[in-house]
Parts: sequence; C-alpha cells; structure tokens
Amino acid sequence: MSKILKRALKNTIVPAITMIAGKSLGVFVVSAIYGFSLQIGNDINGIFSTQIYFQDREVTQFVNSMSDLIMLLSLAVPTMYLIIKTAIFQSASNNPKTIVKVAEFNMLKWITKDDTSFLKIFIWCAFLWIASALVIRNGIQNDTYSWIAILAGGISFITGLGALKTFEVETNKVYPDSKKYY
Amino acid sequence: MRTEKFKKFATFVLEPIAFGLLALLFILPTITVMNLQPITKALNNINVLGVGNKAELKVNIVGGTHQIFSQEKIDEVDGQYTYKTILTRRESDRYSKPIIEIINNKAQETIVEIYGGTQLPTGSDITMIISDQVYRLQAPNGDVTSHKITLIPGQKYIIFLAVETFSDVQFEEDFQLNIKELSF
Repeated sequence: MSKILKRALKNTIVPAITMIAGKSLGVFVVSAIYGFSLQIGNDINGIFSTQIYFQDREVTQFVNSMSDLIMLLSLAVPTMYLIIKTAIFQSASNNPKTIVKVAEFNMLKWITKDDTSFLKIFIWCAFLWIASALVIRNGIQNDTYSWIAILAGGISFITGLGALKTFEVETNKVYPDSKKYY
Repeated sequence: MRTEKFKKFATFVLEPIAFGLLALLFILPTITVMNLQPITKALNNINVLGVGNKAELKVNIVGGTHQIFSQEKIDEVDGQYTYKTILTRRESDRYSKPIIEIINNKAQETIVEIYGGTQLPTGSDITMIISDQVYRLQAPNGDVTSHKITLIPGQKYIIFLAVETFSDVQFEEDFQLNIKELSF
C-alpha cells in the first residue's frame, strides 16, 4: 500500500469524527441549553432511518442553524490553524522580521517544527468544503439562517485560497522559483 | 521470493480496499450530518397520566420517502398550516402519497378550508384523497379549487396527495397546500 494512501487514511479520521461530533453535539447541546424537547424517531426519510424531531418550525431552524455553525467552526478553526501555521513557518524561513514578530507573540513553537503537510491541509479543507456545501444547501432551503450559509461560503473561499497558497509553497520546495537562483 | 510475492499480492488486494475506505471516510460523515438535520413534526405529548388530549385540531406531517414527493415540510402561522413539497421530474403516470394527518380533538365538528397547487400550471392533475373521497386541488390548466371539509370530533383523517400527468415532466415544481380552520 502506498505511503500517501496510508497518510491520507490516517489524516482523514480526525476531521471525519470532528464533523459528525460537531453536528450531533450541536443539536443535543443547543437543545439542552435552551430546553427544547426533541424526539428521536425512526421514520424512513433518508439512508438511515433515525430522525430528530422538533415541534416548531422556528425551533427546528434555530437548532439546525446553531448545530451547523458549531460543525462549521469545529472544522474551520483547525483548518485555519494549519494554514496560518504553514504560512508563518514558510514566511519565517524567508523573512527574519517574521521570526521577531513570532517571538514577540510567544509562538516560536509554530516555526520550529514543520509537521503540517499539504495533504493534511487539503483533507481538512475538503471536509470544510463538504460541510459548507451542506450548510449552503440548508440555507437555500431555509432550514438554516442565511447569514450562516454566507459565513460558510466565505470561510470555504478563504480556506480554499489558503490551501492554494500552501500548494504553491509545497511545489516551490520541489521546483524552486527560478528567479531566486538565476 | 515467497515473501515478495505475498507482499505484491497483499498490495494488490489492500490498495482498492484502502481507496474504498478513504472514500467511505468522506461519504459516511456527509450522510450522517445530512441525517442529523432535525425536522419539524408534532411530538407525541406523553405524560405520566397518559397521552395528552388537548381540545384542538392537530395537523401532522406523515413523512417518509417517495420518488416524486421530496423535501416535505409543514409550517404553522396563526393557526394556518402550510405544507410544502417539491414534485420532482417524472414520467407520465399517476403518483400518490399520504402527506398529512389531521386529528380533530375538539368536542364539536370542525370545518377546514384546504387549497393548494403549483405556482405554474404544468398540465398535471393534482388531487387530494380524504376518506376515499377525491377532491381536485389544481386542474391541468392551473385552476385552483378550494375545498371545505367537515371533520368529525375525535376522528383522524389522512390526506393523500395524488399527481397525474399524461406527458413526462422534465423539471421540478414547488407544491404548496394550505390548511385553515374556519372559525364561526
């Protein structure tokens, strides 16, 4: 089995669990905090037969919106962290000013070890894009507040740009920019 | 030599399984999250003294899956219920599905006004069936008919929605059904 496949499998487990945990915890925690009564039924309304029901349309929309937001943030925060960490690491190796700034903010740990690969960032981004697509779909169907759908679109766009930048950095390692050397 | 052959064979077998597993690791969370999306449905009002029985009209969505009727929803605003669904692309045929149950928990007869249809006429004959009685909601030319239905106290009614088309429909349509209790 190829190494890249092994690494891909290893790196996929955490975001997959985070996505499910973010959504399910979002539904149950929001319901518990606001005291909404929910019921778990088993109508066949999808691939799985288990469904979560709420009495009112407004409550359903609120819980769905908040759980979507929690899921989105639980994926967006680590993805952003990985992208920013890689960007700072790369910038620090080229620009001494960055090292000074990083030292000022007491984040030297971020630039001492390059343990973040493009594959890892891409997998987290892929999960974030899937989650964003689901949130946008819910927004279009009026099952989620529209501002959350817009936020999802914005986050996925920004992380997309970040992933692209990381890809450039990775390819520059293999094929260095010719202007630097000639 | 044997070990190498075994390694080659293991790679040959394991690699497709690993690819499948990787795909599943993306597909399963997606489906799970889609399924975790809560939906609106009247909850069973159960307490220690038994099932709650408020003197009111209860309108519940039946739910379930159907090849033509998708994304069913019911909203209630000021006592008026709005059932919405998307009628997907379909071949010429007659399709029907139980969509709503109405329970009259009141002590007296109640009259409800039911009307609905698609926004654009699509040549479909849309009817509803209540207690084996067929009521036309929207004619093929788009004309909508309103119906007043008398509900007997303590009785449960299941509304079936039926759509009949004589030619294939190549696009989706938004269907809306309004249910309003008439007060005297």
